[in-house]
Amino acid sequence: MNTNAKKWIRFRIYMVLICFLLFFTALAVRAFQLQVLKGEYLRTLAEKEYTGIIRLAQDRGVIYDRHKEILAISSYAYSIFADPTQITDPYSVACKLSAILKLNNRKLLNNLKKKRSFVWVKRQVTDGEAEEVRRLRIKGIHFLRENRRYYPDVYLACHLLGFAGVDAQGLEGLELSYDKYLKTKTGYSTAMRDALGRRIYSKIDFGGSRQGYDLILTIDKRIQHITEMGLKKVSQNTQAKGAMAIVMNPKTGEILAMANYPPFNPNTFLRYPPSVRRNRIITDTFEPGSTFKVFLIAGALEEGTVKPNHMFFCENGNYRIKGTSAIIKDVHQHGWLSASDIIKFSSNIGAVKIGQTLNSSCLFRYIKAFGFGEKTGIDLPGEVRGFINPPIKWSKVDKHYIAFGYGIATTAIQLLSAFSAIANDGVLMRPFVVKEIINKDGKTIKRFAPHVVRRVVSSKTAREVTSILEKVVEKDGTGRMAFLEGYRVAGKTGTARKAKSGGKGYSKDKYVASFMGFAPVEDPQIAVLVVVDEPKGVEYGGVVAAPVFKEITQKTMVCLNIPPQRVLMAQGKPGVLRQWISIIDGNGNKDDS
Amino acid sequence: MIDRRLIQNFDWTLLMLTLIITAIGIINLYSATFPQQNPIWIKQLYWFILGYIALILVFTLNYKHLENFAYHLYALSLLLLIVVLLFGRTILGSRRWIELGLISFQPSEIMKITFVLALARYFSRNPVRSGYSLKNLLVPLMFLMVPFCLIIMEPDLGTALILCIIFLSMLLFLGARWRSFIIMIVGLILTLPAGWLLLKDYQRMRVIAFFNPANDPLGAGYHAIQSKIAVGSGLLWGKGFLKGTQSQLNFLPEHHTDFIFSVLAEEWGFLGSTILIGLYVALIFYGLRVAKRSKDRFGTILALGIVCVIFWQVVINIGMTIGLVPIVGVPLPLISYGGSSTLSMLLGIGILLNISARRFMFQSGRLGF
Repeated sequence: MNTNAKKWIRFRIYMVLICFLLFFTALAVRAFQLQVLKGEYLRTLAEKEYTGIIRLAQDRGVIYDRHKEILAISSYAYSIFADPTQITDPYSVACKLSAILKLNNRKLLNNLKKKRSFVWVKRQVTDGEAEEVRRLRIKGIHFLRENRRYYPDVYLACHLLGFAGVDAQGLEGLELSYDKYLKTKTGYSTAMRDALGRRIYSKIDFGGSRQGYDLILTIDKRIQHITEMGLKKVSQNTQAKGAMAIVMNPKTGEILAMANYPPFNPNTFLRYPPSVRRNRIITDTFEPGSTFKVFLIAGALEEGTVKPNHMFFCENGNYRIKGTSAIIKDVHQHGWLSASDIIKFSSNIGAVKIGQTLNSSCLFRYIKAFGFGEKTGIDLPGEVRGFINPPIKWSKVDKHYIAFGYGIATTAIQLLSAFSAIANDGVLMRPFVVKEIINKDGKTIKRFAPHVVRRVVSSKTAREVTSILEKVVEKDGTGRMAFLEGYRVAGKTGTARKAKSGGKGYSKDKYVASFMGFAPVEDPQIAVLVVVDEPKGVEYGGVVAAPVFKEITQKTMVCLNIPPQRVLMAQGKPGVLRQWISIIDGNGNKDDS
Repeated sequence: MIDRRLIQNFDWTLLMLTLIITAIGIINLYSATFPQQNPIWIKQLYWFILGYIALILVFTLNYKHLENFAYHLYALSLLLLIVVLLFGRTILGSRRWIELGLISFQPSEIMKITFVLALARYFSRNPVRSGYSLKNLLVPLMFLMVPFCLIIMEPDLGTALILCIIFLSMLLFLGARWRSFIIMIVGLILTLPAGWLLLKDYQRMRVIAFFNPANDPLGAGYHAIQSKIAVGSGLLWGKGFLKGTQSQLNFLPEHHTDFIFSVLAEEWGFLGSTILIGLYVALIFYGLRVAKRSKDRFGTILALGIVCVIFWQVVINIGMTIGLVPIVGVPLPLISYGGSSTLSMLLGIGILLNISARRFMFQSGRLGF
């Protein structure tokens, strides 16, 4: 080739190179546009494609008692759903399924005929039902493994625990109040899926969600059981409408047991009416009656208007309040009684007289200080405040009635919290049921320490009240049936007529019998309240509720490993006696005995 | 004995570039077919080994012999195309493969090289200084039309179009009269309606979808949209090796063959895309340098033709994955999975190396200076 031709070819090749480079530039520019300029947008499109929002079977947190015994746990159950577009013969499918699953045939048929690709057939069926349906191999019928809440002890602590619904959401009780901890954080999780919609499990992205946390309660399963058995017995023996009891550590406010009777089965909560499922201990109020005298005497002693040995004339059981037509009666007629004996014998007239030593606002102040008319702040849903009028609204007789526990509405939890303040040296604690929240690895997420609400009375007053209350359970006291051999017990009975529904005045045959007490007096470990609603036959708190208190306390003492001291003393062993004396003097070591 | 000068003039850069692109191809294919049971990348590795053996064989043979046997090789390829139409295996509605025991073979891929070979011989022996007129172009047009029709009948629109484009770009390089260009293009446009009738439905849909992919996002437009999503979601740095979602999760069909680039773009991002494009630019550049340095007309035209084959496949393939070109079945040289394509590309590179190394044969006269 000659030089010209070579030059010509060289020129042409350069032209080709330039053309080619232009094309490559176009490619690079387009790549830049897609990957850099529009990249974020396209990436979100991509994520939409490969991440399907998939509801994972939630592992709702476990609820444990204080010794890590399981109270509520999550397991799995199958739910059956249908894709009506895949079902060729809805009639026969509906027939077959409704027979196995005990469903309404027509309703199911209507669902199966819907022009949708998803309808529930039945949620959370039993394993047997699932197996039977699976064996039919019906096209378009699918199974979904769902989380199901399970309460292994059935009735145990049912009102306290509450229950969780079919979508694993807390609906009542602790399940509701601690729902945000118990449930998995999002409830939904993204998972990769391929172009055919199949899940790619290896690439599950939890996207910041987490497993539910576990709760450790202050409840002691054994004490809870003891309490529930006690309530069951008394309710059946007296044919009561209902009963409730609380066992609490007065020093910390920890609830050791909390029970309502009748119970319900939270595994099948839908079968029970809401009135049965309610935790009446915190949602229902009642007039406390004589148990309220404890707070009256505490106030009077604290104010110094009364000494335990001050004498009051109890009008021989019939007392008309000055300037009114109201007549107050005692069950037993008493003449002169010391303030201490007024409590011991539960004289209403005596209580009114003690009340008269305090002015209305002062009395009201103590009532408020003990926490009445306010929520205790217990970590359970649905607590009510109770009811007490301010002194301005009091009529001439109101103050006198309040003195022995009428004209005021309290919840059981309020009553026991206030009472525990006496056992706890005059300091009111906030009751609580959840001790600790832990994650699945056992790491503490949150710990709940005892919370002091306020000092209500001085420790001197608390001690004085305690020694008065100890006399209540003596042989001639109203609470003698709560006397527990081997333990020093302080308590107070209560027998309140129920207000007539709809009208004024009080019922003649409907009572609320109650007893509250704590033990052992020298170092109170438990405060117990027993309330029996409308017992038939006998109505007295000292007769109906006190034995229940005794039973619960006795068995709880065993659970808590507190030996009965007076039994040892009664056996007349001097060494043991000495030890016991040293214990009550507060110098000894309990473990030595 | 191999001439010492053969080694001296050997284009190591071109070979290195080819090796690098091949390695990227294997790595990328490993990722593209990662979770699958049958390791396609190993199959491709065998093809590469076969391809490099072919490359060496083609290199040792003086390309002058290629010139002598150009028409024979071209005729052999045509024969294979006819064999395909008669006995070929049908995959996805197209009859493109010849079964040879364990392996299947796609003659249309080899046709790309032998077609260029035949054109190079014809044009080198029939130079027209004033530019080719239509009359001069009758024989080359025959060279084009026979395989074009055979391939269209398979049908394989992509390869057929590639032949046309190679033909036109070679003509542009050699210089044809404007009139003949215009007539050819008008002719092409006039045959378009006929071609449209020849197209299979899915191919028609693809052409429509190119102009409006959103029209049918789950149907004909699916490839185009999914590919763009895959490429775009790679962003600047990519999702990482084996971490691509769109291709790994099969949102993008045929991602180990025609849409292989989107796998790379998704996992290696804009950076990876530009590096690969850059490597192709270098390959094309060194290929054109071979054409430029060649001392004989046949070598220049052949080298240019082979560069055109590589270039247009790269541009059309990448162009369709990023939505610049309608979707046609064109492999990405040395990256897409496919034995025949790999083999023909490495044969082409072998020819380039051959031309480059043998330029001394024309230098011998000068050595006396």
